[in-house]
Amino acid sequence: MQGYILNLLILVAISGILATSLNFIIGYAGIFSMAHAAFFGVAAYAGALVALHVSTSLLVTIPIAMVVCAALSLVISLPSLRVRGDYFVVASLGLQMIAFTVFSEWKDVTGGIGGLTGVPVATLFGFRLASLESFFGVSLICLALTAFVIFVLVHTSFGRSLKAIRDNEVAAASFGKNPVIIKTIAVAISTAFCGVAGVLYAFHISFVNPESFTVDQSVFIMSMIIIGGAGTVFGPILGALIIHLLPAGLTYLTFLPARDLASLQQIIYGAAMVLLMIYWPSGLIGRANIKDTWGK
Amino acid sequence: MILLQLIVDGLQLGALYALMAVGFAIIFGSTRVFHYAHGTTYILVGYLFYWLSDRLGVPWWLAAVLAAAAAVVFGVAIDRFVYRPIQRDEGSFFTVFVASFGVGVVAENLVVIFFGASYVSISTPLSRVHDIGGGVVISWLGIASVVIALALFAFLNWFLGRTDVGVSLRALSENPELIRGFGLNPRKLSQYAFAIGSLMVAPAALVATCVTGLTPSAGHRVVLISIAASIIGGIGSLRGAGFGGLILGLAESLAVWKFSTGWSEAVSFIILFLFILARPSGLFGMRARV
Repeated sequence: MQGYILNLLILVAISGILATSLNFIIGYAGIFSMAHAAFFGVAAYAGALVALHVSTSLLVTIPIAMVVCAALSLVISLPSLRVRGDYFVVASLGLQMIAFTVFSEWKDVTGGIGGLTGVPVATLFGFRLASLESFFGVSLICLALTAFVIFVLVHTSFGRSLKAIRDNEVAAASFGKNPVIIKTIAVAISTAFCGVAGVLYAFHISFVNPESFTVDQSVFIMSMIIIGGAGTVFGPILGALIIHLLPAGLTYLTFLPARDLASLQQIIYGAAMVLLMIYWPSGLIGRANIKDTWGK
Repeated sequence: MILLQLIVDGLQLGALYALMAVGFAIIFGSTRVFHYAHGTTYILVGYLFYWLSDRLGVPWWLAAVLAAAAAVVFGVAIDRFVYRPIQRDEGSFFTVFVASFGVGVVAENLVVIFFGASYVSISTPLSRVHDIGGGVVISWLGIASVVIALALFAFLNWFLGRTDVGVSLRALSENPELIRGFGLNPRKLSQYAFAIGSLMVAPAALVATCVTGLTPSAGHRVVLISIAASIIGGIGSLRGAGFGGLILGLAESLAVWKFSTGWSEAVSFIILFLFILARPSGLFGMRARV
């Protein structure tokens, strides 16, 4: 039982990192990315490959995955951020689809549908993180660091420029800010932190396959932010907690057919997204006025 | 010879993509709603047709008409019950998009519960292929998809150019404020846009269900192809969206010539990236507005 709860909490922490990092661009920069699961996947594969062939230290795997993700993000942000905001949504959705094809077809590197198995136990300063407790501790620290860094970033001049661009790009540009560069950097930072989550996930599950990085996963991450509240520090983490506890709670409702549980969950998320957008677009702990958060 | 066959297949696929894309472009162009649930309309039509004709034994033509009618009802209902309440309090682009996405997620999973997550397909005598000389084969359905697409585009051309509603719809995409000044109701017009846009996707869904089968998650791809084709053609240009769909269909089919089939789906998005990189305004579009 304790193992079950610890597993759940580790997943909450990993999802919290994902949601927090995505919230940095959705909530503060007004950039809507549908490719977060793709970056999550790239990081998980990168982490697993490094762990299998080079080093299992988190201090090696995490930085490598962060750099890979940030570099890859340039592929979509450089072309699409030059044009209108909705192009980024489309480009990111396109990347998400291409990424899934690459994960399942580039068999020499990714192992195809079967994925990469036997990812070894993570190490930190030479200490093996074999127990769930120690891994949970590390995940929690990573989540706290991610939330802290993003909190600080939002309150620096960079964060203020970002919010200025979100609210009025033309005005920000006329004050000498370069919206394209600032947004590109923001996306790179967001995906780099997504990389942290990917590596933790690969070590935690100890195998990676394409199934975990579909467009549905992107929806999953997005709904955490939307339910919790975009543009807040704790909203995405609360959202991650709710979204992981919901399926755990559903399994106690024994009258529901087990076969349909996954679909029922998705229906609840989807309905929550629609209803929240109509009645409470700022999310559970978001600011009441959506215009502050998502601008135009 | 295989090249010729791939071109023939590509044209059939392109005709279907063009229908989806033009439907999306009508809605997006005149209402600026990022209608992600366009893909949902597609799977609803497909599954309704499958359920009526395959499970209940309704004659295929009646099933097709009912499914197409359902598409129109669904499109208009979403506009009225989801988008409009959001837009009433200054809904942003993303708010509407998220809600649209939510509708898609709900519908997809309802379909999974009722029909299962695996492929369904309908076999009709029309999907049997015939040799048209030189080893190139084509089915009646393939011919039908091209004919239907051409007929609907001719209808659309007439509708948008010659009828009052069509002209007002074009005006709506140009300048919504001015529409009000002329005493027309943008809300009402947007219903027409959703009705026609959703109707366009119905034949594509019907033919594709018979030719390649259907899965509940097909909607994501449909909407992606639609958006990609609209961007390639140039946002705001219906003709462009049609051409964009045709190009993507041909490209996807020709990709099989050189790459394994698993990669052919990625081809569309690689073309999309090249367009965003080199010519973001698309083939027929005006300069992309920032």
